[in-house]
Amino acid sequence: MIVHAHHLNDERLLDRYLAERGGEMPDPPVAEHLADCHECAARYDDLAGFLDGVREEADADTDAVFPAEHLRVQHQQIARRLEQVGRAARVISFPGHFVSRHMSVSRARSVTRWIYAAAAAGLVFGVGLGAMGVGALYDSAWRPVSHARPFAAPRPVHLAPVATNGAQPAPDAADDAFLSDLELALERPPTRELQPFDALTPHVREITDRVR
Amino acid sequence: MSTEVRSARDPRPAGLADRPSDAAPAPQPGEGFAGHGGRSPAPLSEDSRLAIDIRGLVERGEMDEARERFGGLVTAHQRRALRIAYQYLRDAADADEAVQDAFVKVFAHITSYREAWPFEVWFTRILINGCLDRRKARARRDRWFVSSTDATPADEARAAMSPAGGPPDANPEGRLLARERRGRLAAAVDRLDGRQRTVFMLCHYGDCTPREVSAITGLNESTVRVHLFRAARKLRGLLGGKP
Repeated sequence: MIVHAHHLNDERLLDRYLAERGGEMPDPPVAEHLADCHECAARYDDLAGFLDGVREEADADTDAVFPAEHLRVQHQQIARRLEQVGRAARVISFPGHFVSRHMSVSRARSVTRWIYAAAAAGLVFGVGLGAMGVGALYDSAWRPVSHARPFAAPRPVHLAPVATNGAQPAPDAADDAFLSDLELALERPPTRELQPFDALTPHVREITDRVR
Repeated sequence: MSTEVRSARDPRPAGLADRPSDAAPAPQPGEGFAGHGGRSPAPLSEDSRLAIDIRGLVERGEMDEARERFGGLVTAHQRRALRIAYQYLRDAADADEAVQDAFVKVFAHITSYREAWPFEVWFTRILINGCLDRRKARARRDRWFVSSTDATPADEARAAMSPAGGPPDANPEGRLLARERRGRLAAAVDRLDGRQRTVFMLCHYGDCTPREVSAITGLNESTVRVHLFRAARKLRGLLGGKP
């Protein structure tokens, strides 16, 4: 047995292991030393066994977690994802629609709001104007009439002479005249345009019947 | 370890080469990967040639054909990528997503692929960046939520299956021992320093040579070897072997 004064250090042994695993040419002096020195050869076998064991454990571990079926499924998933690579970006309609719809809705809302505001303003203005106009009209048109009435000639009333004792005619006579005029108007053929209003208006007969 | 993620154009894991003395010079366009160490350019690997073909198809707008051919790259690298991602993240769902994201990102940026890097190196860079990003996000989450180092229910269910995906292993004791062994190993790897862990994982789980690890991480090849050596020594010490 050849006794060597120096042994190979662990780094040289690791280099030898890596070279052997990678299929590279081993360093000739190292190869010669390992062939001659049993102690270094045993150390090398120990190191190689440990590293091979680490690798085998990793292989077994990975194979247990990722069996062949998993590899096949993953391959398909990758293929599906690759389908999207290089394609034009897909426009997702939802946000676009949402935004345009949201914008149109908000615009419609603002328009509606303006319409409501204008209508309210118009109503207030109209009511105010109407109140003022009615007052003015009342003042200018009706009041003179009412004021003028005392000075106007008394309206001729065609009533049958009723014997009185110098007193005023009874108010029933005026009512009778009004009702007779009303009945004459009702007997006339109705105007077509006024028929809807007529339908909405309670008739005297109906009221009378209800009272009875 | 800093975990800043770089772009897919230069997806080197940040922080691994932040010391100038450790940084390896990046190959220039047209310089072969094997010329990284001053050696003659190596012939392109099959997957690198395929990646170049796909790049041409994408540039010509033949996307369907490019997708179909990219499936070959996925098949070639999927298992290795899952092994790296799972050992790095220790979470099946996270690893699954990281691998998917890496493949999608590679396809989306295939036009920026250059022959200076083997496809495997380029892809692994992107994958490692994604894993680092996820670890960073997880660490951020764990600051606010109670973290669990136990396997998720999905992992438990998967682990109960045999490697072939068949019925559960008939030997519960053996399964339990194997699980315990893997747990100890994962815990030991997790205790490695950030650079040591990355280098060790890429080398032992990712089948990368020290030169490829150097290209992926940006570290000098000699530095990679030192990290590998220290990682192996520490792991042996942690796992009860000879340090």
